[in-house]
Amino acid sequence: MTPKMYDCYESLMGDGIILYFNGPVSQGVVEGVADLMRQRLRNEEAGMKLSHRIFAILVEQMQNIVRYSKEREPVDVDGESIANGQVIVGREDDGRYFVACGNRIAAADGDRLSEKLNRVSSMNKEELKRYYKDCRRRGPDPDSKGAGLGFIEMARKAEGPLDYHIRPVDGETAFFSMKVVA
Amino acid sequence: MTKFSVQPTKSSPRIEFDPKSGVLEIRGESYPENCSTFYGPMFDWLNRYFTEADAKRVELNMEMIYFNSSTSKTFMDLFDMLDDHAGRGKAIEVNWRYHEDNETAQECGEEFMEDVQNVRFNLVEITG
Repeated sequence: MTPKMYDCYESLMGDGIILYFNGPVSQGVVEGVADLMRQRLRNEEAGMKLSHRIFAILVEQMQNIVRYSKEREPVDVDGESIANGQVIVGREDDGRYFVACGNRIAAADGDRLSEKLNRVSSMNKEELKRYYKDCRRRGPDPDSKGAGLGFIEMARKAEGPLDYHIRPVDGETAFFSMKVVA
Repeated sequence: MTKFSVQPTKSSPRIEFDPKSGVLEIRGESYPENCSTFYGPMFDWLNRYFTEADAKRVELNMEMIYFNSSTSKTFMDLFDMLDDHAGRGKAIEVNWRYHEDNETAQECGEEFMEDVQNVRFNLVEITG
């Protein structure tokens, strides 16, 4: 595989990619990658507000993998497992930063996910603020493993709508990917 | 009642609650793997503080650099709980401290302030 590695490297660099990760995503990985990006953004003098937005989107995206990825590796006999996923941070041609994540989901969850994402994507910033506050008060849906605010939070921090794709893998699972431009 | 004290980590804040003075402090970052697990003991302590110690006054000082959306929900629950006690006559003050450069922390504080009624919620800018 070694000859292919340069091709892979060159293609990622060509796409403006700063960071590419594919593998088990634990809380420790979330902290490490987030820290690395914070340092990098500081060095690039991205500005506090923009850095904060990118950091927030990155943490929300990665914690979604931790909570929802259907591809998991067992770590011990107690049934604890680590989620598998893909994380990409890069810059568009116009210099804007983006954070993209991908992971397997249960095929059956696809429609519910699309519905949620389409809903937040259709809202303007003022509507998003109201919706965020409503959901924060009301509490999460039964299917949520967090506060159920992640997508709304990302939509509030994003420039433009959330770009996502759900691709069927087999009858049971699908691959969910989402790109958020800060 | 004894003090409630939690050391900070990369993804969780320092928490210091002193039952004698009624001063509570939460400072740092907050994006733990599981907010209910992390903040559960803090809520238990506060519930005991209000019932057993019959606390009359509380001053909560918060200084957050970054917190994730799950933490935002947890903080809203905390402010709702304090708001409830303030509505029943307790003197409760929240000082939401943020660095002058941290516009995001300021906006988050403003949004929490809009959602409480009885608590005295102060936005405190730190300079330098």
